[in-house]
Amino acid sequence: MLKRRRRSHLTTPGIRTEGAGYLLMAPAILGLGFFTIAPILFAIFLSFQKVKLLGGIEYEFVGLRNFARLAADDRLWIALKNTAEYVAIVVPAQTVLALALAATLNAGIKGQNIWRILFFLPTITSSAVLTLIFMWIYNADGLLNQALALVGLPTYNWLSDPNVALKGIMIMNIWSTAPFFMVIYLAALQDIPRSLYESAEIDGANSWQQFRYITLPQLRPVTFFVVAMGVIGTFQLFDQSYIFSGGSGGPNNATLTVVLLIYQSVFRDLQLGYAAAIAFLLAIVIITVTLIQQHIFGQEST
Amino acid sequence: MVYRDLQFFVLMIVSFLCVMSCQVRMPQIDWTISPLGQSDRPITLKLGGWGSSPSEQRLFQTVLTTFEATHPHIRVKFETVADQYMDVLKTRLIGDAAPDVFFLDSFEAPSLMANQVLEPLNAYLTPDFDLADFETTLLAAFQQDSILYGLPKDCSSLALFYNKQAFAEAGIAQPPATWDELLADAQRLTRDRDQNGKIDQYGLGILPDLARLVYLMRAFGGAAIDPQGKATFASEAALKGLNLIVQPYQDRIAARPPDVGTSSGTEMFGQGKAAMVIEGNWAIPFLQETFPALPFATAEVPRIQDQSGTMVYTVGYVMNRRSQHKPEAWELIRYLTGKTGMALWAKGGSALPSRHSVAQQLHYDRDPLRSALVAGIQYATPWQLGQYPTAIMNSFNNQFISAILGEQPLRQALQRAEDSANQQIQAAEQ
Repeated sequence: MLKRRRRSHLTTPGIRTEGAGYLLMAPAILGLGFFTIAPILFAIFLSFQKVKLLGGIEYEFVGLRNFARLAADDRLWIALKNTAEYVAIVVPAQTVLALALAATLNAGIKGQNIWRILFFLPTITSSAVLTLIFMWIYNADGLLNQALALVGLPTYNWLSDPNVALKGIMIMNIWSTAPFFMVIYLAALQDIPRSLYESAEIDGANSWQQFRYITLPQLRPVTFFVVAMGVIGTFQLFDQSYIFSGGSGGPNNATLTVVLLIYQSVFRDLQLGYAAAIAFLLAIVIITVTLIQQHIFGQEST
Repeated sequence: MVYRDLQFFVLMIVSFLCVMSCQVRMPQIDWTISPLGQSDRPITLKLGGWGSSPSEQRLFQTVLTTFEATHPHIRVKFETVADQYMDVLKTRLIGDAAPDVFFLDSFEAPSLMANQVLEPLNAYLTPDFDLADFETTLLAAFQQDSILYGLPKDCSSLALFYNKQAFAEAGIAQPPATWDELLADAQRLTRDRDQNGKIDQYGLGILPDLARLVYLMRAFGGAAIDPQGKATFASEAALKGLNLIVQPYQDRIAARPPDVGTSSGTEMFGQGKAAMVIEGNWAIPFLQETFPALPFATAEVPRIQDQSGTMVYTVGYVMNRRSQHKPEAWELIRYLTGKTGMALWAKGGSALPSRHSVAQQLHYDRDPLRSALVAGIQYATPWQLGQYPTAIMNSFNNQFISAILGEQPLRQALQRAEDSANQQIQAAEQ
């Protein structure tokens, strides 16, 4: 079977058709190869090396030592815990908020387009600028604390209290990413056939029942997409915590995330091999979580 | 179908491995073409540094213009890095794209010196350069195994800045001379003017940052690192020293800048939210420009255990070991750290000169605001933490903040920080 196949493979017309195919795909293959596959392979290579960078680059094969170091690194576990906490709060919150915003807009309120623009604005603003603006708001004498004090709620030292620093970043990110997913939900909502609602109405379903038994199931594949993208995005939290803490992950490692730790390992400590090992751990975590989600959301999602 | 996909995938992997290995094996080709008529064309030197205030930037440019006027065969291109200077610089050093001469904070010097990326300067020194004129503690910051890798450009020590008006209001005539007096004064200076239960003026402004605290540990015989470069700040002596900051903070007679909605100690002091701060030379031009009406004076850091102590920070000029223009690079360093060049720069007043003769020439040792800072250099602790400074500093700062906020006892925080720092150092050294 194999033999015959290989022979047929080598006939001229076969090569010609396949060759033409590959030729047409060449730009994409080269682009993907150089910028996606080659870096992945190189990262695998690096994770088994100790790399000396300053004063002449030298590679030394260290086997699994970088991975063994992962288990003993306290800061990695802190970073993972912070990141997991961040994902666990931000993803559900932003998904629910996105759905709520989309449902509101879809209900046909007055000035729909203006609301749409207003809701979407945070998403198109650069996250670095947003972080700087929020740092002003979070300042001890800033807007948020004044507002909290005005309604008699306790105020916090948002920027330097380890207990609330990460929460501050969470609030900011929920606010700025939810509108992006809102747009996706909005598109999906408009795809749901009107006839389903009409028949439900005839059957006597109220609007909550319509939402619960028609809208939500119809949105299932989109919700999978939104949650999966949310998880991937939140696990890779970097810029906000970098700006918040000036790159240190402080106060008291409260804003240390996995990607920030990778950055510190590469650019502060110049330990490329160890950073590649952390990056692999992160990739495995994200893949696992995404697979679990796919399992939960079932087959329709694919 | 699966078989074909697999075949294609393997083919792709193999081809990329080929491409990658070719890249690694490729012999280094020297692309630089030696210019013709080199003698009459000026050489362009790259000087790397960080930006500062516009007025300092202008002053530095003047110094460079003066250098170019007296050295017509050299042009200087000053490249500033806006943020995360060391990250950028290290990356450029690795990529062989670093400037010929660059600023280097003494804090980062040990790791660069150990990694052989800096040019040793001993061979360039001539007797007329007068190395003995430099402050020894500052030179030592750029020395390793008696090889000199850099020359201190300027320095700054810490002194006590106090608000004269606040002192007069509280009826305090003299700045505190000992730490006990400092605490007593801080108690009297802590005020809630409008009686709303929120303190408007704290006695002392503090920064819970290791860079500002090592001298406190030293006062009781402690240290931040041992001779092997390992963190050792969890000692009894260091604990006693650090308590001098933790206790007043927990007694609410001292505060950190973010507690009062400010971003730095100088801002906190300038806005009158702290009556005393321990700050450096940089605070003088900042306060004079930003808060011209603020009546302030300086004094030496109060004595602890009957010993004087403070911190000193220095920045040096170092030469890239891979520079193509070493003789010219040395000429630039020699000018900038020489008596004329340094005097031109130090006149700006934001940093203290590292040469005795220049300090005297500018009368800084008799300047009412700067004499306390100049005096401090003699007995100051230089800010250096060995080859792995960030691991030590970050571990300390992270745990120390939580101790100062009362989340955990100081002893436990310091032990955790020390263990974490030493664990990171050990992992890096493996």
